[in-house]
Parts: sequence; C-alpha cells; structure tokens
Amino acid sequence: MIILVLQIVVLCVCAAAVAQWAFYFPHPFPLVRRWLPPRKRWPERQIRDWLADGRFHPIFLRYFNRDPERVPPPGEAMLSPADGLVTSMDLHGGVRYLVIALSFWDMHVQRSPLSGRVVKVESYGTDFMDGEGRGFAFLREKSCPVQKRLVIASEAGDIAVRLITSLAARRIETWVKEGEAIDRGQRLGRILLGSTVVLEMPPAANVLVRVGERVWAGETAVAKIGERS
Amino acid sequence: MNGFFWSSGHLGWGIFALVVFTCLWLLLADLVWRLRSIRIHRLIVGMSIGWIIGVGFVLFGFYLGSG
Repeated sequence: MIILVLQIVVLCVCAAAVAQWAFYFPHPFPLVRRWLPPRKRWPERQIRDWLADGRFHPIFLRYFNRDPERVPPPGEAMLSPADGLVTSMDLHGGVRYLVIALSFWDMHVQRSPLSGRVVKVESYGTDFMDGEGRGFAFLREKSCPVQKRLVIASEAGDIAVRLITSLAARRIETWVKEGEAIDRGQRLGRILLGSTVVLEMPPAANVLVRVGERVWAGETAVAKIGERS
Repeated sequence: MNGFFWSSGHLGWGIFALVVFTCLWLLLADLVWRLRSIRIHRLIVGMSIGWIIGVGFVLFGFYLGSG
C-alpha cells in the first residue's frame, strides 16, 4: 500500500510538471524559468539562424503571425499597445515612456491605447542607419533601430506609440493612416520579428503597471490620465 | 505482461518507470531546445531516438527483473 501511495505521489508530481509545461509552452514553465538566464528562455540562436537564411519554420511562422481578437475592458484607461513585459517607465524630457519588450513568443500585432485620431505616422531609421533618439535607453541597446512612431490625438491629449525593431528584422507594418479616426484597442500595425514597443504618455499619467509586469495588447489597462495615485 | 501494469497491490514497475521516464524526457527535451543551438528537426529526431532507446532499456530491465 505504501508503495502504491508513493507511486501515485511521484506520478502526480510528473503530471503536474507536464501540465505546467503544456500550459506555459512555448514560454518556459515556472519550475525552470528561474534558472534560465533571460537569453536562454527561448531558442534565440535557432531564430537568429532562421533570420540569417530567411527560412523560417512554418509552424513557428503560423504561431508568430497569430492575430487574436481582443476585448478592451470598459473605462477610459489607456490600454497596453503590445503584448510583452514592461521593462521601464522613465520620464524623459517631459514625456513618460512606457517600454514593453516583446519576446519571440509574444503576439506581435499592436493596438491603440485610446480612441482618437492618428496625427502622424513617422518613420525613423528606414535606410537602416541609426534612427533618432540615441539618448533613449531603450534604443541604445539596439544595434540599429528602425522605428515607426504613431502620434494619436485623444481627448486626454497627444500620445504616441513607437514600434521598434532592429536591422536584423527591420520590417514594421502600420495599418492606420494619418487623419484616420481609431478606436480604443484597434489594431495599429505589426512588427515582423521585432522586439520593442514604447508608449509615450503625458507626465501626468497615472501608471497602473509596474516594471516586470506582463501586459496584453488591447486588454491590459496601463495608465490613466488626469488621476494621480 | 500482468506484472508490467500491476503487481502485488501497486502499479507495475514497468509502466511506472515508462511514465516517469517519458515525463522527464519531455521536460529534458524542452530544456535542450532552449539551451542548445539545435535545429528543431534534429532535436525531434534525436530526442525520439533517445526516448525509444530509453523505453527499450525499461522493457529490457523489466524482462530481466521478471525473468
């Protein structure tokens, strides 16, 4: 009887580990994540090889190009423009920069934080030269940043969403045009194999998320304007 | 194969070893995939061969133990 109980305990532990693995896949499951350095949490070299020879695995591409529907939560709060991890929220020159880092496993379609009108769609670094803004920490670590910056005029004031990638990936699609009215949570564009999205907010914005927190495009409320905590 | 699945009031050591080995092998494959620069097809083939060999050892061990 004791042997049977021990066997069942061991099998339950195995089943829990496999269930956790399946639930979190392709992200590393929590049991091993703490021991994996950030660069080892996904097969980065494999993906860099795909980038180098241009032959992507079709299953990975299908997964990467997913574009699920998102339901914006009720309210007026600013929504996250991208899926990923919040890595900083520094104040720089009177603008609050909320930086969201995307991994290879994150959904790469960006969404509008607020409803409003697209005022500008600016491109930086399209000639694969260094783009503007080397003063920003989130650009300094990029070998050669390529950016699209979408300025949105909303009732809460002007905000901007920067889609940033590097020379290796270098493709950004924007699906909105200057002058176009957009809804809160509407699709703005997509970074193809890119890595960073930055939301520029007025300094008075009350940020609702913390560094290291996981956010989802069009669903996670990241800030409120006009309310200080 | 009766002792393989059930033996003297507990699970047979054969099926128990097979299930535990398969779970651990799957988790190991995931770690190898993240830590090594290896083509996904090569990884699948390599880990499949490793799994078949492991299952072979389990079955062989059970055969020896029950013989």
